[in-house]
Amino acid sequence: MLPCDYACRSADHTVSRRAFLGTALGATAALGAAGFANPLAAQQLAKTQKRVLVIFLSGGVSQLETWDPKPNTDTGGPFKAIQTSATGTRVCELLPHTAKQMHRIALVRSLNSQTDDHGIGEQVMLTGRKPEAGITYPHIGAVSARLLGGSDSALPGHIQILPKGGSGFGGRDAAFLGPKFASVSLGDGKPPADLFRPGNLGPAEDDERERFRKKLNDRFAKSRKSAATDAYTESFAQADRVVKQAAVFDVEKEPARVADRYGRHDLGRHFLLARRLLEAGVTYVKVSHSNYDTHHENFDFHIEQLGEFDRPFAALLDDLADRGMLDSTLVVVMSEMGRTPHINDRYGRDHWGKAWSVALAGAGIKGGAVIGKTNANGTAVVDREVLTGHLFHTYLRAVGLDSTKSFYPNERPVPIADPKTAAIPEVLA
Amino acid sequence: MPARCTLIVAVACFALPSAARAADPLHTRIDKHIDTGFGDLKKHAAPRAGDEEFLRRVYLDLTGTTPATAELYRFLADSAGDKRTKLIDELLAGPGYARRMAWHFDVMLMERRPDSKVPRPAWEAYLRTAFADNKPYNALVREVLASDGSDPKVRAAAKFLLDRDLEPHLVTRDIARVFLGRNVQCAQCHDHPTISDYKQADYYGIQAYLSRSFLFPNAQAPTAVIAEKAEGDVTFMSVFDKNKTLNSTRPRMPGGKPADEPKVEKGKEYKVAPAANVKPEPAYSRRARLADAVTGADNPAFARNAVNRVWALMMGRGLVHPLDMDHGDNPPSHPELLDELAAAFVSHGYDLKWLVREIALSDAYQRSSETPAGLDDPPAEKYLVAVLKPLTPEQFAYAVMQATGHTDAERAALSKLGPKATEEALDARLAARLAPFRNVLGRGGEAGADTFSSTLDQTLFLKYGGAVRGLLPPRAGNLADRLGKITNPDAAADELFAAVLARRPTADERKDVADALRGTKDRQTTINELVWALVASAEFRFNH
Repeated sequence: MLPCDYACRSADHTVSRRAFLGTALGATAALGAAGFANPLAAQQLAKTQKRVLVIFLSGGVSQLETWDPKPNTDTGGPFKAIQTSATGTRVCELLPHTAKQMHRIALVRSLNSQTDDHGIGEQVMLTGRKPEAGITYPHIGAVSARLLGGSDSALPGHIQILPKGGSGFGGRDAAFLGPKFASVSLGDGKPPADLFRPGNLGPAEDDERERFRKKLNDRFAKSRKSAATDAYTESFAQADRVVKQAAVFDVEKEPARVADRYGRHDLGRHFLLARRLLEAGVTYVKVSHSNYDTHHENFDFHIEQLGEFDRPFAALLDDLADRGMLDSTLVVVMSEMGRTPHINDRYGRDHWGKAWSVALAGAGIKGGAVIGKTNANGTAVVDREVLTGHLFHTYLRAVGLDSTKSFYPNERPVPIADPKTAAIPEVLA
Repeated sequence: MPARCTLIVAVACFALPSAARAADPLHTRIDKHIDTGFGDLKKHAAPRAGDEEFLRRVYLDLTGTTPATAELYRFLADSAGDKRTKLIDELLAGPGYARRMAWHFDVMLMERRPDSKVPRPAWEAYLRTAFADNKPYNALVREVLASDGSDPKVRAAAKFLLDRDLEPHLVTRDIARVFLGRNVQCAQCHDHPTISDYKQADYYGIQAYLSRSFLFPNAQAPTAVIAEKAEGDVTFMSVFDKNKTLNSTRPRMPGGKPADEPKVEKGKEYKVAPAANVKPEPAYSRRARLADAVTGADNPAFARNAVNRVWALMMGRGLVHPLDMDHGDNPPSHPELLDELAAAFVSHGYDLKWLVREIALSDAYQRSSETPAGLDDPPAEKYLVAVLKPLTPEQFAYAVMQATGHTDAERAALSKLGPKATEEALDARLAARLAPFRNVLGRGGEAGADTFSSTLDQTLFLKYGGAVRGLLPPRAGNLADRLGKITNPDAAADELFAAVLARRPTADERKDVADALRGTKDRQTTINELVWALVASAEFRFNH
């Protein structure tokens, strides 16, 4: 770690946030930090600040039991396909509440993610790239936080809510974008580590020691000001802002009837937390739901798992729409792969990356659109094959970014999205 | 005869009024180069750092931690003209040097990647012994690149390759970056688009040394060793080449000549032929030549990168910067100095301790970090003002433990063991307390993270985390305990600032401490929080 220097600010070598923003956002971005002082501007920002929500059905959800049902075929399984609010689009009967949201949702039914491996699958879905030795690409969460997040945002820009575990910071999912954009993990929706003032430190002492620290810093900064000392000083100010907003992480603050709508189970609680975080200005939230790795008893498992997913997902879309946030929030439901059309002798389905589906909604997405097609029993893509790179471009375009630009770590260009692919125009509003 | 020699030297001096002379010690030559790099430097540069500033800096750089209060007062009281030189020599001879360098080279070589095949304790012990013995740098790197992991005595040295699972692209990239100062990653797929020096053939020239090697029995086995086949060549084509020409190269260092390779008779390719569950051994090993090729005299990039990295370690910024971007379009800030450092390093037998000492003795190193009035935003590459260096996680943890009195308490407890009370034994006792600092402050250790950032988790960890707060409350003899017993507020301020920031407080700071202590209902709590405020200050966070 070497200190930053003020001198190295060549415009060519910096990804400017504003350069990425589409025209619709330009005006808001220009408000800058001052805009926050004005409540009207803040409200405006809440509406226009773009955000991303990824719902990750981990283990590998079955496309046949969700977005691309094939009833009455050798691969289709026992479930029916039902009508949805999007004329002509049918989904699996395990998603009755989601079916009523289909006018808001676009489906990509022709995804070939080219891997049947859990670890690689998660990586390709979140980075839009095949793994390459020698370079680690940042996850969509880090990219979103980097390109969409305001520098003055109080809360971390990249948060993931995991089914289990404690809270933790900074996987390497930000790669070269740096730890500032690495994920903050909230295991079982628990708040970040060390967020709350310890019991043996009174509020008066806390204030007093902060005052003393600031005095010391001011004296030090008089003769030794640098980008690094500024960053250090600013980090305490940011921590203060987050501490003041600690209540955002507390789902118990939600009225009981809201919690009931989301369902009184872990995923319901995690979805509700995700909504609170997005509302509070967090740029990117990922919620993981486990575990869809159903090599046996696929159908029973999907009844249970999707039963948990369906209602809170629909409630979440309704809430985002009611708050005027859906137009500015991209919602993606993905997994690390799909499941084999072939049903194995344990009534299970195995790993399948060749032909499966992803659902998108919200910002920049054309509700009700269906892109691509698999054959009658779902074993192959027959129309409009989509690769993970296409999706990655699409996510960025949907939130108003130019996905053909590059980052410049160490002053060398690294395309933000795989340049061999491009966005899917049919899905963009 | 003596008179004539003097005359010759005098003439030589006269003929080269401003240039550095080989007869001068290296630190003098360093300063001449730095002075030459900036006209009128003396007028603009910051003055020599005061004793307090120098003491803290040199302790952190050469031992990894801050000085004890007694050291501060001893140094301030010493009026000898050569006391800085004596201190540098003392610290280099002490056990802290090996610890500090082991920390640094661990991060440089392994970049805080999780352990895969070589456990951390063995690796740390290996590095520490190397620096305690002042093993020449070329010998160290030779071991790191030549060990195949099969000899338990030097298996740890193979961590660089083994813990990267011998992944060809990763290893190629990191050999080029870490040992040659060239980030040739882009050249994996094509000649570098913007850096004309970085060619795809250079990339595959490095890879060719290792492309026949593989992990045996397999990459998943934690006990795997490096094995090699007798054949196989690297091939590559540029993604920009419409004709898709397939190229190949023999092993070679960037810009160097391809290795001469012996013709091996058909049927005699192997000493141990490949078979099921048998580790093959080729008659001719490409891998065996890698270490020599990297460290050899005909590969000037090796010494050049080494001195640049040591320079950056001490000075907070490389002469070539970023450290792995050594190429024609990114010239060093002081080209002659870099050449001279590299040449001197080689002629001194790749002696790292000597190099560190010479840099520490230079005026450039000993300059104050306070920007002189009238000099706004001084360019870092001119070394007019000492560059602030964020403490590494290890330095930070050790400095906190030193400041709060934890280290002294552990040392006192340890002293009962008599001769077993070594610095290694102390480090073993401090390891559990170091771990969370490494874990939280050490993220982002990977390539390219050369800008300081302080993430939310790090700040919350410092604010409210148990690792720091747990060190604050009074325990017999620790800082809070000592402060609690001092009734005179000025004396309390002196003790507090000496222990934490290794300096005497200013009049304003004395007054602030006195005000805080006078106004409090709970004196001990206030003392704890004053200690915290100093530990969390920017002054503490940086080596300045």
